[in-house]
Amino acid sequence: MKKKTKPIDMIGMLFLLVLSIIFIFPFYWILTGAFKSQKVTVKLPPEWWPLEPTMDNFQKLFQNPAMQWLYNSVFIAGITLLIVCLTAAMAGYVLAKKRFYGDKLLFSIFVFAMALPKQVILVPLMKLVSFMGIHDTSWAIILPLCGWPFGIFLMKQFSENVPTELLEAAKIDGSGEVLTFANIVLPIVKPGIGALAIFTFINTWNDYFMQLVMLNSRTRLTISLGVATLQQEFSTNYGVIMAGAALAAVPIVTVFLLFQNYFTQGITMGAVKG
Amino acid sequence: MKKIVSLGLVMAMAASALAGCGGGGGGASADNTAAAPTTAAEAKDAGQAESADKEEETEAKNSDGGAVEITWWAFPTFAQDGDNPAGTYEQEIIDAFQAKNPDITVKLETIDFTSGPEKITAAIEAGTVCDVLFDAPGRIISYAQNGKLVALDDMFTDDFVKDVDNEALLNSCKSGDNYYMYPISTAAFCMAVSKNALEDAGAMDCINLEGDRTWTTEKFEEMMGKLYEKGYMGATVYCSGQGGDQGIRAFVTNLYDSSVTDNAVTTYTINDEGGVKAMTKIKEWVDAGWMLNGSAYNGGEDVDQFVAGNTAFTTLWSPGLASQRAETLAENGIEVIALPFPSEDGVPALEYLVNGFCVFDNGDDARAEASKKFIDFICNDEEWGPKNVVKTSVFPVRQSMGDLYPGDDEMSFYASLTKYYSPYYNTIPGFAEMRTYWFPMLQAVLNGDSEPQAALDDFVAKANQSIENAK
Amino acid sequence: MKPKKLNKIRMRETIVSYAFLAPALLFFIVFVLVPMGMGVVTSFFRYNMKGISFTGLSNYITMFQDEVWQKSLVNTLLLVVGSVPLTVLFSLFVAALTYEKNPVARSFFRCVFFLPVVTGTVAVTVVWKWIYDPLNGILNWILKSANLIERNIMWTGDKKYALWAILIILITTSVGQPIILYIASLGNVPKDYVEAAQVDGANDLQVFWKIKWPSLLPTTLYIVVITTINSFQCFSLIQLLTSGGPNYRTTTIMYYLYETAFKRFEYGYANAMGVILALIIGAISFIQFKALGSDVEY
Repeated sequence: MKKKTKPIDMIGMLFLLVLSIIFIFPFYWILTGAFKSQKVTVKLPPEWWPLEPTMDNFQKLFQNPAMQWLYNSVFIAGITLLIVCLTAAMAGYVLAKKRFYGDKLLFSIFVFAMALPKQVILVPLMKLVSFMGIHDTSWAIILPLCGWPFGIFLMKQFSENVPTELLEAAKIDGSGEVLTFANIVLPIVKPGIGALAIFTFINTWNDYFMQLVMLNSRTRLTISLGVATLQQEFSTNYGVIMAGAALAAVPIVTVFLLFQNYFTQGITMGAVKG
Repeated sequence: MKKIVSLGLVMAMAASALAGCGGGGGGASADNTAAAPTTAAEAKDAGQAESADKEEETEAKNSDGGAVEITWWAFPTFAQDGDNPAGTYEQEIIDAFQAKNPDITVKLETIDFTSGPEKITAAIEAGTVCDVLFDAPGRIISYAQNGKLVALDDMFTDDFVKDVDNEALLNSCKSGDNYYMYPISTAAFCMAVSKNALEDAGAMDCINLEGDRTWTTEKFEEMMGKLYEKGYMGATVYCSGQGGDQGIRAFVTNLYDSSVTDNAVTTYTINDEGGVKAMTKIKEWVDAGWMLNGSAYNGGEDVDQFVAGNTAFTTLWSPGLASQRAETLAENGIEVIALPFPSEDGVPALEYLVNGFCVFDNGDDARAEASKKFIDFICNDEEWGPKNVVKTSVFPVRQSMGDLYPGDDEMSFYASLTKYYSPYYNTIPGFAEMRTYWFPMLQAVLNGDSEPQAALDDFVAKANQSIENAK
Repeated sequence: MKPKKLNKIRMRETIVSYAFLAPALLFFIVFVLVPMGMGVVTSFFRYNMKGISFTGLSNYITMFQDEVWQKSLVNTLLLVVGSVPLTVLFSLFVAALTYEKNPVARSFFRCVFFLPVVTGTVAVTVVWKWIYDPLNGILNWILKSANLIERNIMWTGDKKYALWAILIILITTSVGQPIILYIASLGNVPKDYVEAAQVDGANDLQVFWKIKWPSLLPTTLYIVVITTINSFQCFSLIQLLTSGGPNYRTTTIMYYLYETAFKRFEYGYANAMGVILALIIGAISFIQFKALGSDVEY
């Protein structure tokens, strides 16, 4: 099914290409900046490409347990991703497709919880976490983030698209609730789960404040937290920050590429309808 | 049916978690309030009960050999050798200490100046704060005023007080009648100019390189004029972010003989004639292009611009910064001359930093005692004491340590500034709140939102209110 | 059906639903709802580092009289009004434009617009800080080289530009997720409906509004609500870039809340701000749900 490209689309594409520059530039500057000396990073006129590439920034970074930090970040974000995708898919489905006592109220509470700044719950949460004895462990980040309801909201919205007739047909066929969920709902909301996986991974990765207050030991830090400890008062080493960001981007990009196929394929409605 | 059972189970779990949490939160805060005023023995009991849930490891050790584990949170104040990562030197100190005190284990955790203060604040409230903190009076005394610290009076022996022999400095470690910070080293904040820029602009005769290098506002203004003519930007009047505010405050107060507070440090006075004149002048200089409106710069970025050669001087400088930035300066081929702030009469009144340690009240007497022992080792050990002072790049508070930088002319200049110390106001109640009003005041004046007199009056009113708020 | 029977069905649905919700609710109640309750309760207390005492509504009264709070409310609303419509429309535009084009262009743009999210706010802001730098920033350099300006402009420190400078970064870091979501849900649009409409002679715009838009509604609702929440809670950008300056012109409610709690140690007051912020967001979300909600399916 080849379509003719219309002039208006061409203009739109051109416009997007131009805009792309300001989206790509920071990332590009970080990647190349990781191989530049501090002085060159902020030079004018800018050095568009590292003329004298240096590994100094990475050397400085790896004098610290940077791989351990990276592993901690991946572990925290990965486990959170798994738990959130599973629990949110189940919760989102019933919120979208079932009418039950308290559904509206429950959903309102979820939205209010998302609207409330995390800073407000931080101190009580720290008390809870230290009471449970998981302070200064990865679980102090993972468990609270699994409670954050944005995944439920996202999956509810994706589940709205599940045709009600399909669910009723399954019921008439005598399919149990769990089987209906697994065989009918999950395939339809698959793109949503793909998106949720990526978002959860990245949000967890970047949730600096939570990591800051929950983690203390040097070997338990995350990569973003660890890189921050390399700064001195009145002195920021941009090269090392960029090296850290470049290193941290690798797992995120990997996850992105992994899951993007998941939802690019989208969903062939015909197959489900059959 | 199964589902009903599982539902019930979940409800029960949720309910128990709820109850548990409420108990935990309430318990912790009750402990905090109870532990503060009680005697040592009672505090010890309460502490042991509390640490029983939290730190079984420590508890186990405690019962069988009297061993204690303490935690040290270190800002990057000690310089590291070469490219060693943060905490390397601190760990060396700990190893040396533990070799002499095998019954005490010190756990090191490094924090940074950008987000470290927030981390401490949150940890204090949640009851997960460290035992030993290495910081400066500004924050430490505010923790003390809120009853979060263990008094260190027994560490301030007659011998020590006599050795320090500096009342202003000793007062900076106090809240009320008690000492809460044990100082190790100190230095004045000053300013610095780029010799390259001054020589190029023919402005070297404006500054004074003799004696204590003191100079007048008139000469300073002349210097800026010459720099401007030659196309140099003077300095940024940085007023964004959090840190480094003391530099600009000292700059403002010195120009026309104002002062941040009265001599007794009870009320803010920077809206006096001299303060207003200084702000008016600064605004004129900024409008004329002699200095840069620094609403977009924080202290660190101001120094960045200076060491990169983009500005000709900086109002934020100290021996510590000099050693921190030495490498970049050499790379950029910039030679730096440190100077006291210019003033009308040529006699500066300088702010200064004091590095010191405090002990958080975690309700455990054994940990508090171990912490004091550790601090004593860091500051007073024959081998490590002087070595540690040098690692902070400034001067010992103990006179008996003598000159730790023999033959270093720059360091002896910095040392000479000690006699110009002004009254130390960082321990005033509400200091932390006052700081949040300072930069907005500067921004308001520099951006023409308000006149200097009105802006300073407003600042002083709010700052004085902050003293009341903190009471 | 008789009402009694309906009730019985509903009861059964309720049990099934809560069983599905149980795992999510467990985490939510323990780690969000309980701490949230405690946070909300303390907003009625004078709660600082010294201790805690009940003061009723006084935090709320102080807040409404607090000039800085009023300024930060205005700034926050400006940011929300500036960023939400632009973010939603732009991401819809990108998704619709690229979805049916060749997969290479689609993947390319999706990745490009997602890059700022991948890079992380801290690192992105470090670069933007240099872009905006008044002395040796690249933006001033470019504009000067092109003879568009004579004197360097202090983008983040000037009252005329500061909020705009923030807004641009806010938008570049927020469109990534909506674009991905729109592309994902465009995949949900039944292809045979689209083809049938095209056979009937509908043009692209008609196909979009009649066929695609209705099935994009749930996603749009999510995007609008989440973007609104994120814009209201804009914080780390401000902290890293302007610290609320110049003279409170970029202080948002979240930044002021943070400063109150962590610089001035007034936790009760900060929590009161948080509660009011949540209520404002809640009210706006309610309107958004009413306007975009798709309850029709029930």
